[in-house]
Amino acid sequence: MKVLDLRKLVLVNGALLILLILSAAACTLLGPVRLDLSHALSHLFSSNADTEILLRARLPRVLLGIAIGGGMAACGVVLQALLGNPLACPQMLGVSGGASLGGILGIIFFPNWLLPIAGGRLGEISWIPLAAFLGALLSMILVYRFSLFHGRLHPYHLLLSGVILNSFIAAVIMFLNSIVDFYQAQGLLFWLMGSLSTRAYLTVGFIWFYIAVGFLWLWSKGLSLNLITLGEDAAMHLGVEPGALQGQVFIAASLMIGAMVSVSGVIGFVGLMVPHVMRLLIGSDHRLLLPASFLAGGIFLCWADTLARILLAPAELPVGIVTAFFGGPFFLFLLYREGRRSLAL
Amino acid sequence: MNAIQTDNLTFSYGVRPVLHGISLSVRSGEMVGMLGPNGSGKTTLLKIFSGVLRGEGEVRIKDKQIESYNRRELSQLFAVVQQEARVNFPYSAAEIVLMGRASYHSPLALENQHDLEVARTSMDLTDSLAFADRYLHELSGGEKQRVMIARALAQEPKILLLDEPSAFLDLKHQIQVFELLLRLNRERGLTIIAALHDVNLAALFFPRLLILCNGRIHRDGAPCEVLTEKTIEEVYGIRVRIEHDPTYGKPQLFFRPAA
Amino acid sequence: MICLPRFFALGVLLAALVFFVGLPSPGNAASGSIPQRVVSLAPSITETVFALGFGVRLVGVTNHCDYPAEAKRLPKIGDFMSPSLEAIAAKRPDLVIGVDGATDPAKAREIERLGIKITLLSVSSVTEILSSFKRIAELLGDPEAGARLVKKTTVQFDKVKTRVAPAPRRLVLLAVGLRPLVAVGGKNFLDELVTLAGGENIAANAPQPWLNLPDEYVVAKAPQVIIQAGMGSDTGGSARHWSDLKSIPAVKEMRVYTYNSDKILRPGPRIGEGLEDLARLIHPECFDPASSGVAKGSLCEGSGP
Repeated sequence: MKVLDLRKLVLVNGALLILLILSAAACTLLGPVRLDLSHALSHLFSSNADTEILLRARLPRVLLGIAIGGGMAACGVVLQALLGNPLACPQMLGVSGGASLGGILGIIFFPNWLLPIAGGRLGEISWIPLAAFLGALLSMILVYRFSLFHGRLHPYHLLLSGVILNSFIAAVIMFLNSIVDFYQAQGLLFWLMGSLSTRAYLTVGFIWFYIAVGFLWLWSKGLSLNLITLGEDAAMHLGVEPGALQGQVFIAASLMIGAMVSVSGVIGFVGLMVPHVMRLLIGSDHRLLLPASFLAGGIFLCWADTLARILLAPAELPVGIVTAFFGGPFFLFLLYREGRRSLAL
Repeated sequence: MNAIQTDNLTFSYGVRPVLHGISLSVRSGEMVGMLGPNGSGKTTLLKIFSGVLRGEGEVRIKDKQIESYNRRELSQLFAVVQQEARVNFPYSAAEIVLMGRASYHSPLALENQHDLEVARTSMDLTDSLAFADRYLHELSGGEKQRVMIARALAQEPKILLLDEPSAFLDLKHQIQVFELLLRLNRERGLTIIAALHDVNLAALFFPRLLILCNGRIHRDGAPCEVLTEKTIEEVYGIRVRIEHDPTYGKPQLFFRPAA
Repeated sequence: MICLPRFFALGVLLAALVFFVGLPSPGNAASGSIPQRVVSLAPSITETVFALGFGVRLVGVTNHCDYPAEAKRLPKIGDFMSPSLEAIAAKRPDLVIGVDGATDPAKAREIERLGIKITLLSVSSVTEILSSFKRIAELLGDPEAGARLVKKTTVQFDKVKTRVAPAPRRLVLLAVGLRPLVAVGGKNFLDELVTLAGGENIAANAPQPWLNLPDEYVVAKAPQVIIQAGMGSDTGGSARHWSDLKSIPAVKEMRVYTYNSDKILRPGPRIGEGLEDLARLIHPECFDPASSGVAKGSLCEGSGP
């Protein structure tokens, strides 16, 4: 009987963790400009181009990519379990749509507002990500209210409200796109296609903390997530209270997605593809699937961002385009090879 | 002691009433078969017993109100085999059975050796060990059903509820399942309540039959008492001839179609 | 009675013909007559028309047309990106002028189909901008005005070129957005302006006219001047944004500027003035040595205002 045991858990995650560290190192060293690593390392504390490229321009991006790739993948896993559908993705819940709309409204109406942190001592952050997060929260509350019946979130209603909210938001964004000027239009594109461009370690640190907490909480619910995929009734028979679990998971995932989109715009495909690929490779037990998907998502987005920087150098592609462009065919290839054997569709 | 007891239980799906004033008690170690046409409320009643639905009226499990149990406790008391097993994700049969052990270990821990043993034994009892590592969606309806029964057994329940457990099984496995239920009842004192559609098999294997009609208990008792030609005609709307089979002395139906 | 169906079919065919082809419209600009009612589909076109002295003929401009001041009072026909067909048609223009590459080609075809004469001018390079002055002047019946405007602009260019000639080229990052960073690439008239102003655009080798630049590229190219252009840019914000990349000469020497004017961003008659503004930012020592803070001995020292 081949089931999940500690050995498999450690082996798979260990291997992925090593891959992740190697990818992070590689992606920090790769880019459209040449980096003289020895020079950078030997002059770590003086201001020179190599050190700045390494530590200020590249490393924060790589770290952010790992957090967001991992976070998106983990949210994809739990949303697929929540909706009982292996083809659900984080974008479906309307939360990322709300976040992008909030961000876009921020770009149009108050692009220069800044909020001082800790009385200005820790710097300032733009109001735009805050507006985006607010948008995410509002969407979450809206979808939650529309899907709550008799104290339970019905997957069907969740999906429906999410899709409808997304369509509505897409229409609003389309309208805004037609009335903004050229410069604002560039900002819109960033939100809709995503970018990991950042130099702020404060932001990266905050997102890491946030995502780590969220992910650990979700991982602790791994067993319950297994049970909920059997159906609400079966889950109840096996000791899970589906209503409470669904509500908590939905809120946790929405908060995570909201924060991620607020910082990097909408990066699609990771949340759909990575869980699926991992499921094909290691099975559906969420206790393994969650950490494995997190690590795999981090690896994937890390490389996607590197490609985004290199492919059309010196221009930087929106990373969402790279994830879709390379993720899609690879996913299809994997489906073709493995799918008939293991997909439950 | 009463395993399950209800008093004037009523239940409606929205405005559609399904159960009217059901009062019954099932003692520990009893084996009860529920009969009745579709829509008579069999599945609904099972769902209320297992705590999935809540109706009006009292439901007591082991002489305590059902509301006083939490889900985990209920899942250690009850195991349910549903009519249809629809799983959207690729799990192996072994993984499915092992999920039955969920309420016996911490959610943060993996299954231990004992859990694996119980799962193995359960699969062995339902003759499903051979396809333990195959994906559930690759199995036939009958094989899936046996895996589900194995999962229910892995829960080591005191009360086993089954909703048409033989629905997709071939003859050999139908008999096997009922023989297994009988053995579990006799050897382990497992209380069993099963909704059934095959009246003859119900009569053969179940010492007590509950016949539901339109959400009410029509007859309740031993097969010889409750299975009469008149009852069958009232409940199912068909004419039959009832004879007691010589070997076991149980009433068996012989159909008398109009043609 | 038998003939009725045939006539009916003929009637349907005729109706269909009219529907798809359209009734002949009352004559608008017959070729040869000078347009008196002009609609502009871009702020740069509006400015050019005014600069050529034909502002009085404009009967419709876009929402973004705000220079000169009189343009703000003119009737609006919609957005720069997607103008309103009804508003344009209601003005009964003799000529509509748009920008090739910015005006929606589908809208342009629609306008043509309404029987209105429309011209799309390409203004992607300095040469094309100057040509557009001449072309618009021709279309509006006074080629002389066009030649004069071209001369005036060329003179402005030459003055700047002479000023900055002695100074060495400076590496420049010219950006129009901060988050995300949108930089001027090659094949952009702004790139040419940077060169004319004595600078070298760090993204000149990019085939796109506008592009997102990753921070590492800016650090590697080490521009000596960073100019953040575009309306609504916030002065302090630009400097703060780059402040942690101290290896960039522009940051070290505090040459991060914000430029809040449309003069260089519109491919119109003010690019001469815009070029001077650019040059003042790139080579301040060539315009006003006292205030530039540049060490004595710079090549432009003594060239005087």
